[in-house]
Amino acid sequence: MRKITSYLVPFILANILSIAAFSQNVTISGNVRNSSTKEGVGAVSVTIKGSESGTYTDDKGNFKLTVKSLPVTLMVSSVGFEFQEVTVSKSTEPVQVNFKTASSLGQEVVVSASRVPQKILESPVSIERVSAAMIRNSPVSNYYDIVSNLKGVDVTTSSLTFKTPTTRGFNSSGNTRFNQLVDGMDNQAPGLNFSVAAIIGLSELDVDNLELLSGASSALYGSGGMNGTLLMASKNPFKYQGLSFMVKEGIMHTDRASGQTTPFHNWNLRWAKSFNDKFAFKINAELLQAKDWLGNDYRNYNRAATGGNVKAGNRNSDPNYDGINVYGDETTTDIRASVLNSIGRAVPFLKNFIDTLNHGAAINVSRTGYTEKEVTNNNTVNFKLGGSLYYKISTYTEASVAAYWGTGNTIYTGSERYSLKDFKMGQYKLELNNRYWTIRAYTTQENAGESYNTTVATRLFNESWKASGGATGWFSQYAQTYLGARLQGLSDGDAHAAARSTTDIGRPMANSTQFRNAYDSIRKLPISQGGALLLDKSDLYDLEGSYNMTHVTKKYADIIVGGNYKQYVLNSEGTLFTDSTGRIKISEYGGFVQAARQVFTGLRLTASGRYDKNQNFEGKFTPRVTAVVKVAENNNLRFSYQTAYRFPSNQQQFINLVVGSNVRLIGGAPGFVNLFNFKGNPLYDFQSLLSRQIVPYTPTALKPESLSSFETGWKGLLAKGRLLVDVYGYYGTYRDFIGRSVEVQSLTGAPIALSDTSNGFRYSLPVNSPVKVKTYGFGVGVDLRLPLNFDISGNVASDNLLDVPTNFVAYFNSPKYKVNASLGNSGFGKNKRFAASIAYKYSNGYYYQGDFATGNLPEVHTVDAMISVKMPKTKSIVKLGATNLFNQYYYNAIGNSNIGGLYYISFGYNVY
Amino acid sequence: MKYITNSIRICLLLTFSAIVILAASCNKAPETIPGAPAITPPTGNTLGAAINAIPTDSLYYKVIVKSGLLSTLNTPNLYYTMFVPDNNAIRVFINAITGGAIPLAAPDQVFAGFINSNSFPAASANGLVSYNTCPQPLFMSSVPSTFPNFQYPTILNPAPSISALLRLTTFPSTRNGNWVNNVPLSSVNTAVSNGVIHHTAAVVAPPQRYVWDRINTDADLTILKAAIQRADSGVVVSNPSSLIGGLQNIGANFTVFAPSNQAFKNVISFLSGGLIPPNAPDFVYIGFLGSNNISTLLVKGIVVYHIMGTRAFLNNFPTTATSYPTLLNSAIPVHPGVKLVCTFAGLSVTGATVKGLVNPTASNIAINPFPDPFGTSDQHFLNGTLHKIDQVLLPQ
Repeated sequence: MRKITSYLVPFILANILSIAAFSQNVTISGNVRNSSTKEGVGAVSVTIKGSESGTYTDDKGNFKLTVKSLPVTLMVSSVGFEFQEVTVSKSTEPVQVNFKTASSLGQEVVVSASRVPQKILESPVSIERVSAAMIRNSPVSNYYDIVSNLKGVDVTTSSLTFKTPTTRGFNSSGNTRFNQLVDGMDNQAPGLNFSVAAIIGLSELDVDNLELLSGASSALYGSGGMNGTLLMASKNPFKYQGLSFMVKEGIMHTDRASGQTTPFHNWNLRWAKSFNDKFAFKINAELLQAKDWLGNDYRNYNRAATGGNVKAGNRNSDPNYDGINVYGDETTTDIRASVLNSIGRAVPFLKNFIDTLNHGAAINVSRTGYTEKEVTNNNTVNFKLGGSLYYKISTYTEASVAAYWGTGNTIYTGSERYSLKDFKMGQYKLELNNRYWTIRAYTTQENAGESYNTTVATRLFNESWKASGGATGWFSQYAQTYLGARLQGLSDGDAHAAARSTTDIGRPMANSTQFRNAYDSIRKLPISQGGALLLDKSDLYDLEGSYNMTHVTKKYADIIVGGNYKQYVLNSEGTLFTDSTGRIKISEYGGFVQAARQVFTGLRLTASGRYDKNQNFEGKFTPRVTAVVKVAENNNLRFSYQTAYRFPSNQQQFINLVVGSNVRLIGGAPGFVNLFNFKGNPLYDFQSLLSRQIVPYTPTALKPESLSSFETGWKGLLAKGRLLVDVYGYYGTYRDFIGRSVEVQSLTGAPIALSDTSNGFRYSLPVNSPVKVKTYGFGVGVDLRLPLNFDISGNVASDNLLDVPTNFVAYFNSPKYKVNASLGNSGFGKNKRFAASIAYKYSNGYYYQGDFATGNLPEVHTVDAMISVKMPKTKSIVKLGATNLFNQYYYNAIGNSNIGGLYYISFGYNVY
Repeated sequence: MKYITNSIRICLLLTFSAIVILAASCNKAPETIPGAPAITPPTGNTLGAAINAIPTDSLYYKVIVKSGLLSTLNTPNLYYTMFVPDNNAIRVFINAITGGAIPLAAPDQVFAGFINSNSFPAASANGLVSYNTCPQPLFMSSVPSTFPNFQYPTILNPAPSISALLRLTTFPSTRNGNWVNNVPLSSVNTAVSNGVIHHTAAVVAPPQRYVWDRINTDADLTILKAAIQRADSGVVVSNPSSLIGGLQNIGANFTVFAPSNQAFKNVISFLSGGLIPPNAPDFVYIGFLGSNNISTLLVKGIVVYHIMGTRAFLNNFPTTATSYPTLLNSAIPVHPGVKLVCTFAGLSVTGATVKGLVNPTASNIAINPFPDPFGTSDQHFLNGTLHKIDQVLLPQ
């Protein structure tokens, strides 16, 4: 160890401090332009052959280089263009490079698959890449949405700006099994535990590329990533310079089904500049404002059942109606038990009559709720601001300081629907990059702002205008009126209607001043003080580094090592976690090593392993072995055995949140046993109690869950490089799968009784499944380039769950089949200025399981389309696009927003 | 040529794609969950119309019309159970309340004329129909055959100012046949669109008085009255433990076995060791009960042993002697209570007895169900029934 240290330290220092010592006395300038359109091409790499000196063209295609002497050969390269070498013998005339377009199919370079740059065709695991050009030519209204068109990706859409992608199953809003990294930083909100790349991440003009690793990826990226990792990289200001902006204006809700047609505004700005190829900066800003889509699933929901289910009835037919997107109606009671029986005891002449009501069964009644539309301000505002400073310490070493800050309003579906209002998150990074090593330190600072739980807020609001309990409370009034109505001869339904009508006298109308004032005061009051406000200000601190030793070890293998240390500081002041008495700190550390060897020309083997330790759990080792077999030029078979694991999320450890009538979400930390006296007043299995069996439940220590996965695939170029085919198949086994289990405790401390299915206090707590959950699936993707710049692409994928025990809630949440198909043309018409594309997406229906609601999802078809025209003289582009072109409303999780069409026109300047 | 071919291919592809996309682009609304059938209004005759359509109910229909409740009973979404006396029962009823002035053999027009006359006030008609009308359909299959009768509210609220939920109650029973109070049902469970009709063999008149009113005014129950007053000595009527208060509380529900004066005389003579003969004037016994020769506790014990906390008509008595608790059981829970038994001849109760624990023989209930104040059995009051008996029941 000491030997390694003694070698590494001076080596790193030498790299940092080494400054190019050679003299530079000849300046070459030039321009790179598209040979067919004659437009200047920006961000083109211009490198001096035989050295590592080079630069990038600016947004007009111009470049300037200083060399020691002439002649030199310039290597000019950019994805989508033919590589060129240009010999420069004199500096008196500018160099003019006519860049010829070329198919980039299969030629893209990815980094995330092995943490080193490699051609996507040679990736040892399934990976998808989205370039800035693809975003530019896509009909999506937001770059983040393009992920949904990738092979094998499922997206859960909570709202316009809150979308959660995943691969290979287990999709949900805020999926914690899918990592999202922005410029190397984990984008997950430390407290709320969902990734917020769509609202706090990169602005669209600053996106260089997205890389999606499907399936297990912990071996390189640590905890999480069991269902994939999405890596988003921003544009380097040395490479992408100039002022860019884009104004996107659109309309939504065009069918006026939920009111009126509303505008959509999305403005982007990016400015980047470098100085002498030594110093560069960039500034980004993005503003989005729209009226969000809302959840309008008013079907009746049965929360008492394990997992819940949609049931028959509505507010008129079911007095205990609990609409999925109706809030406040979760407050429910059996008026027979709570009111009528005591009337029967006090006035015996009514006892028998009361006993006959509803055939002697419970008479469950819920408070009158308010729809999501009535309680949620759907004004979505999202503002992102980012900036970076880059400094080249040496030819090989670059330092950067970056800040990414965002704030916004959006709607998120967790165990309830949450209105994230004035949510803020900042990520601040300091990074040193050398050709051999990287050191990165960053922090994530989260502030939930005025975010609140819509369900809790509305229930409390109901209590504020009329308390539910007590002799004069809402339920007592309701029960007496109901009884009186039945005594008058009214039918059960009419009596309930009469009771509700009478009891709701004085109920504030939604959006009345009385309503708004009272509601606002509740949602602004912290949960810990009896309100609905989340006070989450949790933070993450991370220090990580990696070192590519290949230049030393290449004789034997390409070796990369790395490690990281992170600390979460949970701070919700008791509104989300059990941190009312102080902040909770959670530390994790880990390290990895990867060795790759080209065994022979046609076979490359890679082995990697990672060890991580969370202070609350035993360490986890995750190995990965891959092989890439070259079966023909540009045709590779890949085989991999990958593992992944996930430490229970911070919420799964420490959440402490009341989410319904006598229902509390708690974490799996050992302290909950004492906090809720599970030893003195034990828990019982709720499902068994529903089956009229009393089965004690003893909480057990929560463990990390893990996944081992076998995968094979083929990626190849056919038809003279015009057809790219990618096929994969996988089989995975999840162990210690973390789900949730509902247990029940006597509310009074008395021995548990069968009636405690409704009278007891329920806890939803995380548990490891003793069952191995198995998954398998496949994906096929084709991309065909046709003449005249047409291209057709399509993919189909299937994810499946195996051997699931009865009643096991796996939250697999993946359609059996999902299909994407698109047809596009990247240049047609006069001077090939026009581009167009149409994309179709299909996923079949399936049974969705969520903490908020569970039920059957119908199949979904959507069509997106766009047409654009470039105006080279003004370096601008106008795009007319539509997502969900036919305005066919759909939802992809029970209770989530119903997504309609968005039609926009954008004007972009200097968008590349 | 190649360019043209490619263009055609591309156009075809575009067209094909568009057709597929357009055909497939139709997302479904959330599935509806079956199980909540649409509420359809009931069809067929309503209660009033149904009764009007039954020729043998024509007189009661006129009573309904006079009561002002016809529209209520014909309201499709108001559901009731009606106990409907047929024409024969109405004739008997009118014959009785007119003191025989309208003979049983009179034509129906005469009875109808009486119903329409001022001699039969609308308030009386309203009270009668209201008392024989219960909220919600109650089929006799839902009425238990257990002891005592099944107490069920009518739509008659005697004091709405006290409580909107206050109701006089009826006592349907399926023990030993189908009954309402002590009246047998001649037919049951005629379902109509907004309820159910049960026909009664006699008019079921609503009670007018409290049990205490009868005890307080019956010349043959003066010693029982004195015993109750002695048992209540020192307790104001408003006190919940007051027996007198309970016996005139509309919320109470008692069965009182009321020993006649002679029954009391016999037992007091026995208790006095013969010092008081069994044929002395009433005031002698009343004086004895008020004296220190007997304790209040003993008197109270004897009195509460004659009262059950439920309402029982004789038709609901068991046909084999069976023990039931009395109010004494609230003080002595293990006490076996009293033994009841009755005998039937068809649907007529021909005999009934109640036996105290230490009485050598059972006490006979004087069978005479003629309504209060004339009868001696099944005397129906706002808060209970009263049956006269010929022995004082002795608990120990």
